[in-house]
Amino acid sequence: MKVIISVIVILAFVATSSANLQCEHAKPNIPTEWIDMVKPCVKKMRAQIQTELEASIQYLAMGAHFSRDKINRPGFAKFFFQAASEERQHALKLISYLLMRGELTSNVSKLIKKTIVPPIVSWTSGVDALKDALRLEAKVTKDIRGVIEECEDPKEEEGNGYNDYHLVDHLTGEFLEEQYKGQRELAGKISNLEKMMDEHKALGEFMFDKKLLDEL
Amino acid sequence: MKLLFVCCTILAAAFAATGDECYKDSVRVCKSVLKDNKKDKKDFSLPSCSAKYGAILEMLPELQQYVNSHITRNFEYMLMATHYGNYEKSREGFEKIFMDLSDSKWDTAIDLIKYITKRGGEMKFDNIKADTVNDENASYELYELNSLAKALDMEKELAERAHLIHGQATRRRENLHDPEVSSYIENKFVHHHAETIRKLSGYTSDLTSLLSGPDSSLALYIFDDYLKKQSIV
Repeated sequence: MKVIISVIVILAFVATSSANLQCEHAKPNIPTEWIDMVKPCVKKMRAQIQTELEASIQYLAMGAHFSRDKINRPGFAKFFFQAASEERQHALKLISYLLMRGELTSNVSKLIKKTIVPPIVSWTSGVDALKDALRLEAKVTKDIRGVIEECEDPKEEEGNGYNDYHLVDHLTGEFLEEQYKGQRELAGKISNLEKMMDEHKALGEFMFDKKLLDEL
Repeated sequence: MKLLFVCCTILAAAFAATGDECYKDSVRVCKSVLKDNKKDKKDFSLPSCSAKYGAILEMLPELQQYVNSHITRNFEYMLMATHYGNYEKSREGFEKIFMDLSDSKWDTAIDLIKYITKRGGEMKFDNIKADTVNDENASYELYELNSLAKALDMEKELAERAHLIHGQATRRRENLHDPEVSSYIENKFVHHHAETIRKLSGYTSDLTSLLSGPDSSLALYIFDDYLKKQSIV
């Protein structure tokens, strides 16, 4: 009889405890020796994510400007909208890299700002916007170099001397590669457009815009 | 009485604007070239030749805010996906659906900007709805069920906003009627929202019953694996 009662009690206990919703689970116990990125380098990488997103919103503003009826440059608009999505992809690639290296386990909510207002929202001409784009890319390149420098030879005490070979190689081989190619492309476009507009201002931009629209 | 008269004149002028104003503008600028060809600076602008018609002018602020909300949601979902991508959480399925949602908000933001400019409007990135980001310190590092719940709330808010815009464009606000806006909202937003909201609601139901079972950790693992193969948008 006692056994039956105790079984019933145990069963009842199991039933009530499993009626609770278990939403939270304990953190797993994983060795951390493999996580070897140093603080100053991680900090720079995190900041670079925000930089790429800000560039993306700036390009979005360019796309919006050239889409307007008074401006009517669909080729330029398409070019800049694509650039905006590319910059966003760069930010996502940086996030993926940090996740791969065992980072971003905490303080994720502060990683990016939830609203970004683009500093410039109108341009006098297509060539004017392309020049701004080239300046923006040069700034991003400089920032990536800054990340590389910090991760190759961290100056602060926390990461003294820890050379992050893989990240440095990744940023140099993938990110800088794309930056330099993109900058050359922009410079070439500015060159062609400006030469065309020298004598045929409106027609030059009109034709260049239609060419952009076909090419992309 | 005077006030009424002024109002009538303004209204009359507004109606007249839908007549042949662009043509008149074009005639004006063509003449001005002949007359003052010695002047260096001429005004070649054709203010009445914009693409604006219908109720788009009045709808613009609402649409601009809607774009900015999509950009913000894109960032928020990005953070939620990132959280599930770290090795401690390691939930690929959750990471995927939040990243899909982030991508979709971004693409929609671009689409909306194109739409605004198609209707002759201009995008204003600083026109941000005050309560979009209610808390800069909000946490996006959530437990599985909570994150689905948050996503459901966010999607419902966007859906209600779409209804609001649709309503205003359908004479809910006085004299505003723009069937092109309401049709766009219906085709691009209303039906999609219903799909996503239903899926998210279904997920929360499933997960709630799974988490009350005897092995919630295993249930989460299996549910996450299931999410990997689902498309939320």
